[in-house]
Amino acid sequence: MKACMGLISGYIFELQNFSVNDGKGIRTVVFFAGCPLSCQWCANPEGLYINRISYRKETCIQCGRCLQVCPCEAAMDHQGVPVWGKCSSCGACAAVCPTGSRKALLHQYTSEEVLRLLEKQKIFYRYSGGGVTFSGGEAMLQKDLLRALVNQLYDEAVDLAIETSGYFDFDEVKDILKKMDMIFVDIKHMDRGKHRVYTGIDNQLILKNIARLKALKVPVVIRIPVIDGVNSDIENIRATAAFAKANLDDPKIELLPYHMLGDAKYEALGLEKPNRSFKTPSPEYLLKLQRILQREGVEVVSYR
Amino acid sequence: MLTERIEKARQSYINSKPAISYERARIWTESHKGTEGEAIPIRRAKAFRDTCRQIDVNIFDGELVVGVVGEFRKCGILTPEFSWSWVDREMDSFDKRVQDPYEMTDQQRSYVRENIFPYWRGKSLEEAFLAQLPEDTARVAVDTGFVDNDSKWRQAVGEITPDYQDVLFKKGFGGIINEARQQLSKLLRTSAEDLKKKDFYNSIIITSEGIITLARRYSAKAKDMAAAEKDAERKAELLRISEICSRIPENPPTSFYEAIQFLWFTQLGGILSENPLALNIGRFDQFMYPYYKTDIEKGVMTAEEIQELIEALWLKLSEWVWTISANTAEFFAGYNQFQNLTVGGKTREGRDATNELSYMCLKATETVKTHQPGLSVRIHQDCPSEFLAAVTHLVSKGTGFPAIHSDNAGYQMLLNAGYEPEDARDWNNCGCVVPHFRKTYEWTSAVNINFTAALEFALNQGKSRLTGKKIGLEEKTPDRFESYEEVEAAFYRQFDSLIEHSIIATLLAQRLHKEMVPRPFLSSCMADCMNSGRDLVDMGAKYNIGPVLAGIGLAVTSNALAAIKKLVFEDKAVDMRTLIRALDANWEGYEALRQLALAVPKYGNDNDEVDDIACKMANHYYREGHKYKDINGNSFNTAFMGISNYLPTGKVIGATPCGRKAKEPLSEGVSPFAGTDTATPLAAMRSAAKLNQDVHSGGTLLNLRLTEDLVNTRRGQSNLGAMIQTFFALGAFHVQFNTISTETLVKAQKNPEDYKDLLVRVAGYSTQFVHLSRSMQDAIIARTAHKNY
Repeated sequence: MKACMGLISGYIFELQNFSVNDGKGIRTVVFFAGCPLSCQWCANPEGLYINRISYRKETCIQCGRCLQVCPCEAAMDHQGVPVWGKCSSCGACAAVCPTGSRKALLHQYTSEEVLRLLEKQKIFYRYSGGGVTFSGGEAMLQKDLLRALVNQLYDEAVDLAIETSGYFDFDEVKDILKKMDMIFVDIKHMDRGKHRVYTGIDNQLILKNIARLKALKVPVVIRIPVIDGVNSDIENIRATAAFAKANLDDPKIELLPYHMLGDAKYEALGLEKPNRSFKTPSPEYLLKLQRILQREGVEVVSYR
Repeated sequence: MLTERIEKARQSYINSKPAISYERARIWTESHKGTEGEAIPIRRAKAFRDTCRQIDVNIFDGELVVGVVGEFRKCGILTPEFSWSWVDREMDSFDKRVQDPYEMTDQQRSYVRENIFPYWRGKSLEEAFLAQLPEDTARVAVDTGFVDNDSKWRQAVGEITPDYQDVLFKKGFGGIINEARQQLSKLLRTSAEDLKKKDFYNSIIITSEGIITLARRYSAKAKDMAAAEKDAERKAELLRISEICSRIPENPPTSFYEAIQFLWFTQLGGILSENPLALNIGRFDQFMYPYYKTDIEKGVMTAEEIQELIEALWLKLSEWVWTISANTAEFFAGYNQFQNLTVGGKTREGRDATNELSYMCLKATETVKTHQPGLSVRIHQDCPSEFLAAVTHLVSKGTGFPAIHSDNAGYQMLLNAGYEPEDARDWNNCGCVVPHFRKTYEWTSAVNINFTAALEFALNQGKSRLTGKKIGLEEKTPDRFESYEEVEAAFYRQFDSLIEHSIIATLLAQRLHKEMVPRPFLSSCMADCMNSGRDLVDMGAKYNIGPVLAGIGLAVTSNALAAIKKLVFEDKAVDMRTLIRALDANWEGYEALRQLALAVPKYGNDNDEVDDIACKMANHYYREGHKYKDINGNSFNTAFMGISNYLPTGKVIGATPCGRKAKEPLSEGVSPFAGTDTATPLAAMRSAAKLNQDVHSGGTLLNLRLTEDLVNTRRGQSNLGAMIQTFFALGAFHVQFNTISTETLVKAQKNPEDYKDLLVRVAGYSTQFVHLSRSMQDAIIARTAHKNY
């Protein structure tokens, strides 16, 4: 059985140890690559398969080793900067870069490799009540790798959580969801049309899936990435609360204020930064939303 | 919340400048002029008693715990019997020096030059040491930054914990006098051994009389002040102080108030007798608890009143200033006296030891924000979560306190050093991070060894890169090394030679201490000295532990070796000749090569390749250090302590192959080099825990910086608690955190006036940020702040 599991592999863009805001205790967040949504404000653009090589100018010594190995003539232009348009993200340059200025952001891992990397963190999980959180991108897109990891870690009694867009085929991943200790699922917008505008897809499947989670008896937290100019209006927040109340036994919502921490990643990947009309809501306004949710009968949770 | 009284005292403490008093030195000198020819212990005891009889007695506004070492509120004293020449050389610039300046007037200066120093010419410990130190060792070990033990020949040793539990609070100094008299009556006048004991017991009687006299003078002073006092409440307080000082420390204390005043008189006695480093308080929450409990039960005092007394003690401990040379101040920056106070842990019987006082001590440090005492906690695996929460709460306040220690690692370290199990369970910290027990005589910071110097000498034909001076052993030119193993072997040759010089310098200092500066007052605080009739310096204590060598630069040196291994011998990215040229040029013109060097994995990121180099070095250090015996036949011990020694030792070292530039600080204890632990604090902890920490019984130290927002919620603090427990489960001994934002530190650097009470962790201890020199401040800011969101 184990040997068979070893054959399962997939794309991961980061194993982030010492994460403390994605479930209980001290955790490792496993970021799966690939996402069915294309949210305009995405903070993890490396998960989108657009480009898999990052470049840091400050540490690059212009040694030219990348030039010699690049099959696409994309390693450097006359200023010594990558020619992003030609890059096929093969990773050859990252493999030879002596200063780590070029990094492959996506890694192909087998489930056993991931488990080995998690091994050293387990002692921290034990003392803190933490565990592993699957995130992305959308982990459900690589359900075979996800399932292999979940089955093994579940048997080891490691606390498991998932952060999902809610956009998946419920019946195909039901067994995975059942093994979770906590499910975080986003509702980006209750309005079908606006959801489509901002994320590229419809929200009906997401809402339907959330309604079905109730039957699994796994604690669920609905997360709203609160963005001024997109979804922070009171009407939308109220609608989300009403939906949570109607569909969950123990309705909980976490408000995650939009942040611009992803900007540096866009730069390193040679991508255009998100639209500046997206704004971080003020702490006062967040407090107001929190009170509204509470009045609607929803518990507001936070992992800060 | 502080009471108005404590807040007032705190403000006055913060706003007064450290000043030097020569009173102790004057009385000490006059006394010695009158005792020429008498036995040395007797002369020192009489000088102490004269000091107690004559030194200024001062009770400041609103004080509850009284006693000061001179006429100033923040007061330092001089001990010319140890060294006067550095004071003579440096005192004209005391108020101008960068690290730890003192106030001193011209009149004071001319007085000591005319009336005090001339007497000590040719008689001080420093002069004897320098006269007898072999020339080749002197070249390596006197004010060089390569090997440094000047705190052992320009200063007293200190590094001791008076035994309140079994001696002082049981007998009082009156009881000690009676015991000494009884012992004297049993001695034979015809036995050579007994003759020496006779001097010892007489010296004990004299010093005990001295401290009792000092207390009585305070009693009289308080009474006088009470008579003149108009405020009825203060008058009553002064009368109470007068009554307490008339009873203790002659008699055992009968209340918490008496016990705490007794404790402070004992500290005063220790200070006046030798101006010691690390005169520890020990397990305060344990030996004070019976008094606390009785007072609360009988309604003698409320918990609030006891809290106020504890805070008053914290201020007293901070007001005394350790007078040290500019060189020593570089190593021990921040007016730090290292009076360690340990709370929590297990009892001698293996039960959890935390009690109300453990929490009250944490609270006192949080509210008074003084750099003393050096507050340490012992954390065991089933320590109450409430206590761990209180500890992490204090961490979140950014004072750098408390120093957090693994209860079990400390126990193991003492077992390894040969302690009985109950005594090992009863350990307290000495100075900063040294596991210690109160019935012990040891030198816990005997000598500092600069690991990186050994590598510099190996790569530079035995010469200092900055001065070109030949200091190390002869070595071939570096481009002739043909393998990494050869480089490593050359490094270890130089390393062993530095250890050898450290041993030579320490053995001499030990012998001179034995001959010249016996310690009757502190010996009287030790049961076994009293029973055996032997002074501390003559191995009178129950445990006599070999001197501790403190290693500096473990991370830098390991990083440097890792860089040579990878760049020169594995990747062949650069040849040795070019690398050395880059180091000589301090990387100027070699920026690309420096980037390559910086990209080689660094210690502190759980990378086995470089961590293995560090681990091997630490084990070698342990074996090499333990090879030698001290003058009492005990093995030398090893430690990776901090103090602030990673700065001065860095100033004398040129650029290093890891990418570090010339004169930059080295690394402290087992901490990563500043700014290179870029993975997570968990990875830094895993790296540090790979070293066999428990064999380095002189203590190990890991400092980490966390951003405020990681620990400013209860949840964040709980996770921090889990991190600490995990680190200890991995086998580590100590960790301490700075949790101030870089922003705050930069602001404090710009506007020191607004941040006078900002405490930061230096290394093994905390001190006021604004009291650190600019380069020290920069070094603190440079430590990686771990942030993970």
